[in-house]
Amino acid sequence: MQIYICVKHVPDSAAHITILDKNRIDESISFLLNPYDEHAVTEAAKIKNNTPDSEVIAVCLGKNDAEKTIRSALAMGADRGILITCDKNYDSMVTALALKAAIEQDGTPGLIFTGKESIDAEGMQTMFRIGAVFDFPVATNVVKLDIEVDKAVVDCELSGGITNTYEMSLPCVLGAGKGLNTPRYPTFPDVVKSKKKPVQKIVFTDLNIKDSPAGMRIVELEPLHQARQPKEIKGDAGFVAKEIIRILKQEAKVL
Amino acid sequence: MNQKFDAIIIGAGVIGCPIAYELSKMGYKTLNVDKLPDAGEGSTAGSCAIVRAHYSTADGVAMAYEGFKYWLNWENYLDNVTDEKGLAKYMNTGSLLLKSQGHDWKKVQKNYDEVGVKYEEWDNDKIKKMVPVADLHEFWPVTRPEDPAFYNEPVKELEGGIFCPEGGYVNDPALSAHNIMRAAEAKGAKFMFNAEVVDIRSENKRVTGITLKDGTQIDAGIVVNVGGPHSFKINKMAEGVWEGCNIKTKALRHEVMYCPSPEEYDYLNKGYHMSDGDIGCYVRPEVGNTFLIGSEDPDCDPQEWVDPDDFYAGKGGHGKDNVLTEEQWKAQCYRLGKRIPTLSVPNQPKGVVDLYDCSDDWIPVYDKSDLPGYYMAIGTSGNQYKNAPVVGHMMAQLIDACEKGLDHDKKPLQYKFKYTDRSTDVGFFSRKREINYNSSFSVNG
Amino acid sequence: MMKNIGVIIELDKGRVKETNFGMITLARAKDTQLFAFVMDADAKSVKEVLESFGITKIVEVWLAPDQLNNPVTRAKAMINAIKEFNISMVFGLSTAMGKDLLPRIAAHLFAPLVMDCFYVDLEQKIAKTYQYSGKTIATIQLTGEVLVFGIRPNAIEPVKAQEKAQMLKFDSSHIVATGFRVIKSGGIDKTTRINLAEADVIIAGGRGMKNSENFNILFQCAKKINAAVGASRVAVDAGWVPYSMQVGQTGEKVSPKVYIACGISGSIQHFAGMKTSGMIIAINTDENAAILSNCDYYVKADALEIIPTLTKILDNG
Repeated sequence: MQIYICVKHVPDSAAHITILDKNRIDESISFLLNPYDEHAVTEAAKIKNNTPDSEVIAVCLGKNDAEKTIRSALAMGADRGILITCDKNYDSMVTALALKAAIEQDGTPGLIFTGKESIDAEGMQTMFRIGAVFDFPVATNVVKLDIEVDKAVVDCELSGGITNTYEMSLPCVLGAGKGLNTPRYPTFPDVVKSKKKPVQKIVFTDLNIKDSPAGMRIVELEPLHQARQPKEIKGDAGFVAKEIIRILKQEAKVL
Repeated sequence: MNQKFDAIIIGAGVIGCPIAYELSKMGYKTLNVDKLPDAGEGSTAGSCAIVRAHYSTADGVAMAYEGFKYWLNWENYLDNVTDEKGLAKYMNTGSLLLKSQGHDWKKVQKNYDEVGVKYEEWDNDKIKKMVPVADLHEFWPVTRPEDPAFYNEPVKELEGGIFCPEGGYVNDPALSAHNIMRAAEAKGAKFMFNAEVVDIRSENKRVTGITLKDGTQIDAGIVVNVGGPHSFKINKMAEGVWEGCNIKTKALRHEVMYCPSPEEYDYLNKGYHMSDGDIGCYVRPEVGNTFLIGSEDPDCDPQEWVDPDDFYAGKGGHGKDNVLTEEQWKAQCYRLGKRIPTLSVPNQPKGVVDLYDCSDDWIPVYDKSDLPGYYMAIGTSGNQYKNAPVVGHMMAQLIDACEKGLDHDKKPLQYKFKYTDRSTDVGFFSRKREINYNSSFSVNG
Repeated sequence: MMKNIGVIIELDKGRVKETNFGMITLARAKDTQLFAFVMDADAKSVKEVLESFGITKIVEVWLAPDQLNNPVTRAKAMINAIKEFNISMVFGLSTAMGKDLLPRIAAHLFAPLVMDCFYVDLEQKIAKTYQYSGKTIATIQLTGEVLVFGIRPNAIEPVKAQEKAQMLKFDSSHIVATGFRVIKSGGIDKTTRINLAEADVIIAGGRGMKNSENFNILFQCAKKINAAVGASRVAVDAGWVPYSMQVGQTGEKVSPKVYIACGISGSIQHFAGMKTSGMIIAINTDENAAILSNCDYYVKADALEIIPTLTKILDNG
């Protein structure tokens, strides 16, 4: 079975974000494999080890530097990688088309993984778009997975421990959630072994993705400034507690 | 009317607090001023707080060995003061120095013999028994993951190591500074926080006091620069001081990595502090069964000298600011991964980025200055945390002797250790010295 | 030309959730017809409340009873309804349900979608949302025949606008999802604790918690406010809680909507792990604690007293 994992090269969540030209970020910061994709790679590698005649292929649409992320996926258990090189950032709709074209050129997907979202754009939709263009069923925030001969049974987390269980035909597209597994990070020997694994490079323009009238474009990026003005809550325990509840309900809107 | 003290100490980190403590015990009325909100919140908090004795000079070894006596009797040293935050703990793991081409271990061993440091020679079998996860091949020279040579197969093994049963780390360096502050306060010392020094005043060629950012002037006949990475900026505020130093200091950026230990190895409770010059790293255990991985500054690693104010404000960009870089994360973790082949390295860097106050030869400047009344305890170069209590005592003696008429430049103070039967020539730390080429020019000291 | 705007209503046990009203308010605009799509109740039962917020057409979407909880069927039915009623802009809530519905709709319509937006300009066709782990606000331009928006719950103030609504029916009871079957809905895994990195609310304890048992106070409160429980390095170092709960420079870096710091002094190292929190509430007996000058609300009191009181009040409803 050919298991494809669609991975993304994203900024480290701890990095300083500096905005340039009011619409893009300074990319000279640390980038790495999207954290949710780590769960996808780990799961794919597990399935491969239990399924004879399978391979795991990491596919990525990104700039040249994104090869580092494919290498991370290889070190974590993927067998080979495909980097679709491009020189700008594309939206989820174009990304899905590019990934589909690259996968179809390469082989026959038995299973396609993504992470449930990328920590930069947080669009939460690419796996559904991949499913739509392939006409495969899709589930996201998958926290439990059983692959049987002709179907996948998944638990998808809605929020805080509540899950739905779905049964999907194969091939299907799965968005990995944090609860799916504990990522199996590479040791140095894993890194050395993975250096021999091949990464094929395709140029995005060679995929001839048609320009579409529909799309999403970032027209402005602004930093979120947080200047805090501390306000004291005074009173006895009962008053303070009630006031905190009010703040959580009315101001933070989390209750 | 300005407030007046006998001595103003600029900085309330792990070196500034013991100086206040010792001077207060001698009867001086001291005030520490620090621009941060609490003691030990600056570069002290980023210290790996390693306590070990291997230095490249006999004096270095002696001072470190003396320091042990303070850490091992912490409550006593603090004169049993209570700190509402609790006490910092010294964790005696023992210290293993691997014999390698990256560390002049023969010089260290000679110094141990001279000073009387207890140690055992361990062969590879013994090391493998005590550190079952270790691969003892030689990986020298130290390279970076970007270099194809990084992946060369090793061909031979190292030749064992030197184990000191006395050695380890302090679990909370910021807290240790806070402890010393409380001990100093019990002796009458005063502390002022959120107080940034912008000027050092002098009159008739003597120091007269300081001025804070908000305009407050405080007077004192003695001012001590213990400003850590900001030390060079402070020296420049005082008349004639910067020019009178042959050895200068500047701030060097450092990344320290926190990488989880292999699950089957209880590093936190069974592991040693290890100095591994073969891979250019030193490690010690950290909470969460983690390896704290420090770098021994191999030649292949870039050195970033930065402006401390920009750095702490998060400015400077990738590799110069206070955010870990993915390149250095891989460098330090993969280097350790050669020594410990089962070490799993996460993709996201985790650890601490902070500054060393580095002197030209990585040996501190513990000295007076060309401005009478102005002293400095600077250039700690990332290797003096362990000596802090000793330095406090030594600086207090130096200041007292100079104030009472000693011409320290001409006739350097001979400092007698409290516990070790040895004296050290404080002139060794002179600001006027020529660069000391005996130094290892690294965090090893 | 009159534009048709569609709002997908989310219900809980037959009642329209309050979070819909802000979204409906946002979707109202000049020269538009505002349609509400209801899949989980009959239009009559929700007519009054939807009319009070400006809905002019309520479409009751019929699904086969055994397909009601199938997200693929629901999406298919909505896609057909969107086409049938010529909807050019679709609004839904960016909730757990919405995350499983809206992207399916957008994907099959080949329409742009912005999730978790807190602002939409219907005329300019732009939406604003957060990106890069809460560090930036992105303004996104959408183009296409149909646009889809996932609205952040509670991001917009609901404003009433009385209208009279026409009731319509859309029969999608023939739709059956292929290749996708629901085996169980709403299973609860009692052992799952909300993940620190993904939590909207975090309640964290530090030195002021004094010991391991007192952390139960935080766990109990967390259950009531749907929060994850964190800790400062001091609490982990002391062995009161496991390392997985540590927030800070050398622990987990979090960005919740609310961070409640109990007995935490707020060292620079701790701040490095939570400074991008939307709101910080600090409870500390030490009036010199650094966190009190770098938070949004503070209480000079013992968290060991305040938090149980908070839990009790929430318990009593």
